[in-house]
Amino acid sequence: MSTGRRSAALWFADTLVVLAIAVWAIGAANLPEFVLPGPVAVGKRLIALFTDSDFLVHTIASTVRVIGSVVIALLIGGGLAVIARAVPVLDGIVSGVIQPFLNAFPSIGWAILAAIWFTPGHFSIVFVQVAILAPFCLINVAEGLRQIDRELLEMATSYTRNRTRIVIRVGLPLLLPYLMGALRIAYGVAWKIALVAELLGSTSGLGFLMLRAQGSADLTTVLAACLAIVALFYAGERLLLEPLSRRFSAK
Amino acid sequence: MSAGPALAGRLQRTQRLLALGFVLALGVAWFASAGRVPAYVLPPPSEVAAAVVAFATSAQRLPHLFATLGHIASAIAISFVLGALLAFAAHYARWSAPAIHQRLSPFLSAFSGIGWTLLAVIWFGVSSFTVVFTIVAVLLPFALVNLREGLIALDKELLEMGASFGRGRWRSWRLLVAPALLPFAAATLRIMFGVAWKVTLTAELFGGGRGLGYVINIARQDYDTPTLFAVILFIIIAVTLADRLLFGPLERLTTRQFGAAS
Repeated sequence: MSTGRRSAALWFADTLVVLAIAVWAIGAANLPEFVLPGPVAVGKRLIALFTDSDFLVHTIASTVRVIGSVVIALLIGGGLAVIARAVPVLDGIVSGVIQPFLNAFPSIGWAILAAIWFTPGHFSIVFVQVAILAPFCLINVAEGLRQIDRELLEMATSYTRNRTRIVIRVGLPLLLPYLMGALRIAYGVAWKIALVAELLGSTSGLGFLMLRAQGSADLTTVLAACLAIVALFYAGERLLLEPLSRRFSAK
Repeated sequence: MSAGPALAGRLQRTQRLLALGFVLALGVAWFASAGRVPAYVLPPPSEVAAAVVAFATSAQRLPHLFATLGHIASAIAISFVLGALLAFAAHYARWSAPAIHQRLSPFLSAFSGIGWTLLAVIWFGVSSFTVVFTIVAVLLPFALVNLREGLIALDKELLEMGASFGRGRWRSWRLLVAPALLPFAAATLRIMFGVAWKVTLTAELFGGGRGLGYVINIARQDYDTPTLFAVILFIIIAVTLADRLLFGPLERLTTRQFGAAS
């Protein structure tokens, strides 16, 4: 019976989604296209974003840069956390200065500074995204290092004095759930917030595409790009991050 | 652990000294850079200080600061109330839970902040409403997810015990549920405050005629990097201070007073 009620609630949820799309379609039929394009037009453009080579360039550029930025941010943020842990006297610099500084730095501030400092291009965008994502990675990895069971490390030390071995066999597995957490947060923030890097001084990417489309009142493309970001976010979550974290967070 | 408090105290002092030294070294490097690079690339500290003073004493610019604070405060209040209403709805009216947590929340959490900004500009024009709408849209999933965690963590046994003492639902809500939710509410506010600053300036730059985002947009167009630095510096200090002096203690206080004993 409980499963019956559950599916009833799910049915209700899906009905609401269908209803929302219907309301959208009716609303769009009565409004000009630059205010609200219909679901069919947006759907077609959404497909074009993944098939039409004019659009696909932007989709791929954003995706590749997001993945690259997340990896670099994890290396830098995680690296800083590890340094602070390995050399305790430096912890004041990392968690007292660098972390609050990066954490409070406005994302659009990085975008503007990068537009002033660097020539427009991939490097400039990745720089901004890494600067935005690094503090999230730093906080998560530092938290993981704090949670590592000291007793377990002590026990490992009683088995071997080889520190590399302890790190690889005991420290890293204990840290993996937090690394995965950092990866997932950074990936989400990259799509949702760090795409701002593509708005200033960029000639490719979904952010650039959206801004250009908005400038010419092409709301179909803006909405399609928004939905493409939702789709890409979930594709990465479901196909890559969830399997990875299931694999690594199992005890 | 055999190190003892004396050694720990010394470590802490060394950490503070090194951190201070690091900041000083950065400051010196910044001073030394003056004259070597063009001022629009990296303005010398004196120019940034002058920009800070000019900002704080300018009758034209100070209102922008208050506009930004107003945007953030109202957006946090609105999204917190909306998130709480949705989280309570899903908790107390079970049939709505999948619609809220499995359809609405994932959609909102994956929607790009820039997308909201650009859409809001088209729909509502350049206005404070556009800015607040964007921040609310970005913050709402954070409020929803965090308050849901609080409701899940409610102690069922405690509620049952409460029910055995009295049938007044409002009374049990006021005396048991609300206090248990306070630590989560405080944590939610803290997270929302941090995220709000990340999106507000962007929203103001593209969609608001007022606010610090508008100021840095003008500064950017005029290559007025000192003002840009001044605004960024101000934000970093304000956000860090608010987090350390307001939201951090609030979270600790509510956790100590009403949190689970773990």
